[in-house]
Formats: sequence, C-alpha cells, structure tokens
Amino acid sequence: MSRVKTPVLVVLGLIWLAPVYLLLVNASKPIDGYDAKTVWKPAGFALFANFGDAWSKAALGDTLVATTLYSVIAPVVAVLIGAAAGYAIVVLKLKRGFGWFVFIFGGTIFPLQMILMPLFSGYANSGLYDTRVGMIIVYTAISVPFSAFVMRNFFTGIARSVFEAAVVDGGGLFRIFRSIYLPMAGPALAAIFILQATFVWNDLLLGLTLSQSESVRPIMPALTGLQSTYGGAALPTVLAGGLLVSLPTVILFLAAQRFFSRGLALGQF
Amino acid sequence: MTSTIERPPVKVRAGSQKSARTGGRVAPLFGLPAAGVVALLLYLPFLWTTYVSFTEYDGLASPVWNGLTNYKAMFSDPDLVGSLVNTLLWVVGMVTLPVALGLLVAVLTYGHRWGTWLRLPFLLPYAISGVAVGVIWGFVLQPDGALGQALGFFGLPGAHTGWLQAGPGNTLMMIVAVTWQAAGVNALLFVVGLQSIPNEPLEAARLDGAEGFKLFRHHLWPQLRPITTVVIGLSIVGSLKTFDVVWVMTQGGPGTSSETLALSMYKETFVLNDYGQGAAIALFLSLVTFAASVLYLRYQLGEAREQG
Repeated sequence: MSRVKTPVLVVLGLIWLAPVYLLLVNASKPIDGYDAKTVWKPAGFALFANFGDAWSKAALGDTLVATTLYSVIAPVVAVLIGAAAGYAIVVLKLKRGFGWFVFIFGGTIFPLQMILMPLFSGYANSGLYDTRVGMIIVYTAISVPFSAFVMRNFFTGIARSVFEAAVVDGGGLFRIFRSIYLPMAGPALAAIFILQATFVWNDLLLGLTLSQSESVRPIMPALTGLQSTYGGAALPTVLAGGLLVSLPTVILFLAAQRFFSRGLALGQF
Repeated sequence: MTSTIERPPVKVRAGSQKSARTGGRVAPLFGLPAAGVVALLLYLPFLWTTYVSFTEYDGLASPVWNGLTNYKAMFSDPDLVGSLVNTLLWVVGMVTLPVALGLLVAVLTYGHRWGTWLRLPFLLPYAISGVAVGVIWGFVLQPDGALGQALGFFGLPGAHTGWLQAGPGNTLMMIVAVTWQAAGVNALLFVVGLQSIPNEPLEAARLDGAEGFKLFRHHLWPQLRPITTVVIGLSIVGSLKTFDVVWVMTQGGPGTSSETLALSMYKETFVLNDYGQGAAIALFLSLVTFAASVLYLRYQLGEAREQG
C-alpha cells in the first residue's frame, strides 16, 4: 500500500509547492531582469533589494509598525477580557453562566459583513475612523468571543479546591484571578494569542473599511494597494511584498502548528 | 440549543460559603467587559444592519422604510443574481475540492513513516493570508503566465487561456486557488479525526483481511462522520465569506462576473452608497451562515457542555 501512497503524496506535494517556488524565484528577480515569458526560470537574486522597494515605495514600513501594534495589543487585551469572563462563568459561578457564555460566543457566528456598515458610520461619527485606537478596539472586540470560549473550557478543567484554598488563604477575587488563575492558564492564553494575532495580521476587510491613511492602514489592504499601483511594471516588487507580509505568519505557524490545529477544531478561521 | 443546562447542585462547604456569596455579587463585574464589548461592537451593529436592510438609505439622509424591496432585488437584479450564483459555486466548490483533497492527504499520510513531512507542503499555504494567496495566484494565472507556460511546455491545450477574464471560469480558477490554501487545513482536521478512532476494531478488521479502500470505506469513513460534519460546516461558512482572494485577483470583475455576495455587499455599501441593499445582502449571508454554523456549533457546544 505504501508503494502507492508515497509517490501520490510526493507528486501532489510538488504541485502544491510549485506556486511557492514561483513566488520565491520571481520575488528574487531584479526588476529589469524580469521577463514575463520565462517565469519558471530563476534569474539573478535581488530579493532584498525588492524587499527594500516594497518597504519604501509602498510605505509598507509605516503600515508594518501599525499592524504589529494591532496584532499584539488587541489579542492581549482580548485574552484578558475573555479570561475574566471565563473566570466569572466557571470559577465564580456567575448566575445564568451558560446564557452569558452563549451571548459572548454568539458574537462570532455572523460574518463581518453584518457589522461593517454600522461600524463605518459609528467610527466616522465618533472620530474613531482612520485612527489606530479605533483599529485596536475593533480587533479586540472580534477576538473576545473566541478567547472567552477557550478560557471557559480551560478553567472548567481546574479543580474547585484550588479556588476554595485560595479563598481560605484570604485572597480577594481579583487577586485570585490575577495571581493564581491567569498564571495557570499560560499555555491556553498563548494559544489564543497566537491564533488571534494571526487573524489580525491577515485581516483585509476591517482595515479596508475603517482606515485609509498610510500610518493607520493595516498591512493587507496596503499590499492590495501595492498590487494595483505597481501591478504590471514591477511584479517582483509586488511578489516580494507578498512574501514579506507572509513571513511572520508562516514562521509563527511552523513554530506553533499544534495550536493552529486545535484552534481549527474550535471553529476559528 | 439555547436551553440552559443546570449543573447538579453543588454542596457548599462551610469554608466556601462566604466566598460563594461574594463571588455571586462580584462575578458580573468580571463578565461585563466581554459582554459589553461584544454587545457594543458586534450585536448593536448587527441590529442596525438588520433594520437598515428593510430601508432605502444612502448613509446621509434618514433611512426610509421600503419593506422587502432590497431582498427582492437580490433575486431579480441580474448582477446580484449572478453574485448569488457565484457564491453558490463557491459553496459547492469548497465542500468538494478541498474537502476531498484534505481527506486524501490525511488518509495517505496518517500512519505513514514520513507523514508529518509529507503533509507540510499542503499546510504551508494555510499560513499565508488570503491577500497573499490572491497575489501569488493572480501571478500564476496571468494570461500566458506561469500556468500557461507550464501547459505549453507539456504540450497541453489551454496555454493561451485568459483564466480570469470571463465568468464562470474566473470563479472556478479562484476556487482552485483557495483549494490550494485550504486543503491542508482540512487534512489536519481529518488527521485529528483519524487519531480519535480506537485502534482495536481496526486491528480486528485488518486481521479479517480488510485493507486499502475497503478498510477505509467500511471502517474508517463511518467513524470520521463527526469530523466530516465539522469540516463541511467550516467549509460552507468559509465559502460564504469569500472576499479577500476575489478582491485581490479580480475585484469581482470583469464587470461583475466574479462577484460573490460578500463582495457585492461591500460594493453596494461603500462604492454605490446603497446601504440598504448592502445590509440586505449581509443579513441574507448571516442567515445562511447561521444555518450552516448550527451544523458544527451543535457539535462544539455539545462538547463544551460535556466539559462544563
């Protein structure tokens, strides 16, 4: 059986790697050495020059700073808010806890299209449109339901006696949360953080709708801008841009594969 | 689905009685930030969109009630009907191609000595954003581009096809692009499913002489049903939201030939300023998404309940 399996997998795998090969080879070509008729053949190596071009010409540099801020701050805040909710529902036995849980988790089941227009109007009226604070707020809100979902499940697995012992020791409820439950949840918090940071990094729709200036616009809308501006003339620059914005998530993914498979099974992405 | 599940009554021990009481009073404070942020930024916009979908509204003057006009337009306006058909194509494409390929890769790599490594080429595209996938495949599918040159090299027909220049071909090619991205994820999910199958019955079946396709058909496939439900549910939900790849590769064009509903919603609202029409499309998408979500949410929440 394995005599059939391996060749099938190898052939399929090579087909799957072909676009990656094309990306790497053509993102590396010097702009004047690029020929649309011979895209399969390598020609020269100017990858870093192309990175530099994408960085400066399309102002990817500015947008990278902004996007890094969003993908760090929003998931951190969301993880804490979600953990607090999980703590309230599971540990503090919040009244009608399951109802709270369904309400918070239910926030993610409809598509973004459902909230885009009101967010745009609301942001325009409140001065949040095209601000970094506004982007962080919306990314946080989107990340909270999943975070609460995972934390609720995580805290369910912790023995009740931990809480009782902490109360007997005279800890306040906030201190018990901060110095006992949060540290215990380290791995779960990290998993949520990685998944949500990836989501924020890869977002196109919210960035497209709620921002426009170079210093606020996230990286994915900026890349689509780069493509429409430089599309024909400087394809290696566009491809280098595509490669550049993909590197962080690819590295993160390879380093934390099991988190991703777990997140998937939970219905995220 | 929403029926509350009562926990078995907890016997309160003397020591925790006080804390249980104070906990009850303070608990909402810990839950409020999450509920508040979700209510304000997700539910409130949801309600506003729902209302606007029954009105004529350009974002400036007040919305004027017009009943079901926007919904009727979705099923009569040729452009929107085309968008509906394209979305249907996406759903059908995404529950077949990436699911079948994912299953194939999972079954072939599961238990294989180099399984993890052979799976890697399929997983790599998943770590790339939809926008980057669009950039890469837009490049591959250029007229006489990488795909055309490869076909020409092997002497195959179609070398000079304009892959993205007419519908429904452009939609089909973009489905191929997303299959490239999504198959690995499905493979990963199916592997998780395969891992949860108990080994003994399989061994017994093998001893009875079942192997290859027969083993799969009669012993693995039936046990993969729960995970298949999740994969198909996720695929439907994902395909309904298709936006990024199309936005990057064709912007819905030429004309509106490759528009999806998710893209039409964006265009109606932010390009044509027909907020009511955009809202109606959004609500329609939400309802279909919700129905599809129930498929796998039932499974998820069931699991959450068992644990909680």
